[in-house]
Amino acid sequence: MHEEVVAIPATAVESAPEVRGMVVRSRWMRDLLSFLVVFGPGLIVMVADNDAGAVSTYVQAGAQYGTRLLWVLLLLWPMCYFIQEMVVRLGIATGKGHAAMIYQRFGHWWGVFSLCDLELVNFLTLVTEFAAIALAVEHMGISPWLGVPIGAVGLIAIVLTGSYTRWERTVKVLCVLDLAWLLVAFALRPSTGQLVHDTVVPGIPAGGLTSNLVFLVIAIVGTTIAPWQLFFQQSCIADKRLRFADVKWARLDTFLGACITILVAGCMMIAGNAALTHGIRFDDPAQMANDMHAFTGEAIRMAILLLMINAAVLGSTAISLSSAWAYGEVKGWPHSLQMPVRKAKGFYAVYVACVAVAAAIVLIPKAPLQLIILSVQVLAGVMLPSAIIFLQLLLNDKELLGEQYVNRPWNNWVNWTIIIVLFALSLILAVQVVVPNLFPSN
Amino acid sequence: MSMFPVTMNINCDQVPDNHFVVVHPLHDRPEEKVDTENLGPMPMTTSVKLSLMALRGYLILMIGLVFFHCLDLAGLFGKH
Repeated sequence: MHEEVVAIPATAVESAPEVRGMVVRSRWMRDLLSFLVVFGPGLIVMVADNDAGAVSTYVQAGAQYGTRLLWVLLLLWPMCYFIQEMVVRLGIATGKGHAAMIYQRFGHWWGVFSLCDLELVNFLTLVTEFAAIALAVEHMGISPWLGVPIGAVGLIAIVLTGSYTRWERTVKVLCVLDLAWLLVAFALRPSTGQLVHDTVVPGIPAGGLTSNLVFLVIAIVGTTIAPWQLFFQQSCIADKRLRFADVKWARLDTFLGACITILVAGCMMIAGNAALTHGIRFDDPAQMANDMHAFTGEAIRMAILLLMINAAVLGSTAISLSSAWAYGEVKGWPHSLQMPVRKAKGFYAVYVACVAVAAAIVLIPKAPLQLIILSVQVLAGVMLPSAIIFLQLLLNDKELLGEQYVNRPWNNWVNWTIIIVLFALSLILAVQVVVPNLFPSN
Repeated sequence: MSMFPVTMNINCDQVPDNHFVVVHPLHDRPEEKVDTENLGPMPMTTSVKLSLMALRGYLILMIGLVFFHCLDLAGLFGKH
């Protein structure tokens, strides 16, 4: 089966005399351009993972425990890379999305279950993204009744151009803007010694293993590795039509994305740490930005609010697309950003409906947002280990991937370790829901 | 002037030997992928099947638990 798969590298297109491309002389320029044309899905999936919920989780972690949990991020760095690297191989080898793979290889029940679970968690997450936009614009003196619809219209507009490349370029610009967290962290940084110590020396913060700490660590893990990421990156790779020759560049793309997401997450914790050292207590990052105004100045306040909106917009487009791609794959509808709206009506309708309904819910007075946020965290925690088990089974499927792309034994050791850790955290979360006093409170 | 070469239509037969052609994936010919539709369901050992059955039970139980907890928090079963 696999022997029939033919890799056609970008640099060896002898049988197709006329192609649209670039001619270069040097090998390094060929490698640089080959990377640049592939660069995108890995960066976007990782940076979009630092969405509004992530901003809230990381700054809360910083505000409660300072920089003492930075080591958790260092542990999560290889985890998020290894998981998404598997998605890269699967996406390039099959040219299909993750939802389609589960449906075809594990049957109707698992296909429907994965799709429903994904759509539900994604939709609830989207509501939290718009809730963050509403909060941030309100603190900037703009009415949410104006800011949220503008955000929704912008999110819809960037996908309706009928060009994958145009969408990717726009989102990559937003990803670059996310790096402004580095400037915020630089302005609010504690001593270098403290940062290095807390990053490389694991330890439990003063106060011991409380239920709050356990919940926060689970939230950090659940925020850094989310189920929608598997579906998003595989569909994105399929839509971009990455080739077998692109595997190494797609891996590099994913690796750089993982470095950036962990670095930015650390910056968010440093911002929370600044609030802790100044005795500021807050419920959300927008309030933190406002309350820190006295010692950080207007520039940092506005930067944090704008970065919060940027995070929510990035998260929203990636999450809505993962929903639309997955639905299109399972339904067998045309589902590509390369297609004009008239040729993929169902795909675009799912995207537009997700964005529009989530935005509308946020504008309902007294909507149960806290309940939605809790549901997102718990449902994502429940779904993640099972989603990774399917990924692991698919990556050991020689019939599907052949000898070249199937997991190596060391891949399996690493991945089963990750699965066991995630299952343990998922179980702790479930037990904590049933027995809230399992761990001592603060 | 850009430091990168411009994208243009290239006749590969006329590209000199010591040059390389870089093609964007969306401009390239579609390559042959694994034919997943004809593969059918994944062959599984009994232990894998049993593990997936157990996983199915675990997920149904957990989702039920989450919904119960959410309804409880929403005050559907009376105030605590």
